[in-house]
Amino acid sequence: MGNPVIRRLEHFLPLDEAEKAALSDLTTDYVRELAPREDLVLEGEPPRYVNLVLDGCACRYKMLEDGRRQIVAFFVPGDLCDARVFILKAMDHSIAAIAQTRVAQVPAERFIALTDRFPRLTRALWWNTLVHEAIAREWILNIGQRSALERMANLLCELFMRLRAVDMTRGEACDLPLTQADLGEALGISTVHVNRTLQTLRAEGLISFKGGVLEVHDLPALADLAMFNPNYLHLERGEAAGVARLLATT
Amino acid sequence: MPGRLVENLERHGALSADERLAIEAMAGAARLVPAGAELVGDGEASADCLLLLDGQAFRHKTLPDGRRQILGFHTPGDVLDLQRLFLGVDYGVTALTSCRVAAVPGSKLTEALIEHPRLAHALWRMSLVEASIQREWMVGMGRKSAYARVAHLLCEMFIRLRACGLTNGERCRFPATQAHLADAVGLSQVHLNRVLQQLRSARLAAFRARELLIMDWTGLAAAGDFDGQYLHLPARTVAPPPPAQGPTARTGRTTQA
Repeated sequence: MGNPVIRRLEHFLPLDEAEKAALSDLTTDYVRELAPREDLVLEGEPPRYVNLVLDGCACRYKMLEDGRRQIVAFFVPGDLCDARVFILKAMDHSIAAIAQTRVAQVPAERFIALTDRFPRLTRALWWNTLVHEAIAREWILNIGQRSALERMANLLCELFMRLRAVDMTRGEACDLPLTQADLGEALGISTVHVNRTLQTLRAEGLISFKGGVLEVHDLPALADLAMFNPNYLHLERGEAAGVARLLATT
Repeated sequence: MPGRLVENLERHGALSADERLAIEAMAGAARLVPAGAELVGDGEASADCLLLLDGQAFRHKTLPDGRRQILGFHTPGDVLDLQRLFLGVDYGVTALTSCRVAAVPGSKLTEALIEHPRLAHALWRMSLVEASIQREWMVGMGRKSAYARVAHLLCEMFIRLRACGLTNGERCRFPATQAHLADAVGLSQVHLNRVLQQLRSARLAAFRARELLIMDWTGLAAAGDFDGQYLHLPARTVAPPPPAQGPTARTGRTTQA
């Protein structure tokens, strides 16, 4: 399979051979394997690396003093965790693997050298950052206004679309190595409640979710229940058209 | 002239005289918009980005059935729709007060991102801070009690307005209605109203007559589990305000939402 980071950035603009080669080098030079649940960087630490997710699944999270955790973003293969994060003195959140995850942990200087050499990549990186901010806004809307069932439906639609955009879905199925606790921490609901919403979605024939595999049986109905609007994912034209077809009720 | 943006950027790493001129030269003439006006329309295309020079605004997103979520409040110096440089906007921004704004052509701003490394640095920083605030809001709504959420929001607004020089002692003008606050923290207006009353009776903060009064900073910050690190402001800006000289809350009137 191709390099998911290149695949991802090419949603914004086609890269030339030299740019692709430079990105490939970065993603092979600094590979780090993370065990499930292993932390990559902790809140309060000075950010020194730009992390690129090559394989697996990771998350950003914040912890309250009493130990309760809120997951504030999921990373799928191809995602870049903040192209300029080293501008900040200290991390305002932590990043951890959820499943076995392979990342490229690129030192800040190396990353700056890359964009100095290929200024066009700067545009692609801004695009990528702004898309992640748009996803964060949708999450605020999700937690603030949607019911638990709608929240779950929206998150599953989102993750399915994001995985599809990097060619990681197989028909109506995709690997989604999240536990019910992870889902609860991302949606702001209890694990018991997560279990109940998943059962409801299953009983209505919309999805099944077992052994880390999500199957979306009726995407238009799931999207309808969630009031899912893919605009916030800012998919490139071809991908957006494909998604529109998938969401259309037949 | 967009002095506020320059101020905002300067706090994040002192612009040179050249860069200051570069931004000021980019913006068109300032215009005034009344409170309640739509500054950025959800889904609307524009070639310009909008700088907020003076006033306050809020960013929001609405579900098809009308449920509205406020995603953040804007203070002077913010670029309201930086996203336009590379994406369509997927949210709206509405003026909370009358606002003075100026348009910067997106093409010029994009050029500056490549040509002016320090300005680019400042805008990256602005975007990182915005993202950090969004994450903090998620933690609030996902994990904190209604009481803590409201206390946290009041702390955040006070510190941010103070960083813009818009506070007066323990007071600041924050003309959100209770409906705005409810939509920002994901509560019903009835619930929000009850929480504001609790914060007032606990003598932590009063929010009335378009004004926020901090009665007990330490108590309010503890109630909201507020730690200003996520705002990435200089340490002196996040430090607690001077203690009030005895409680000065007015009594007898309640805010009309």
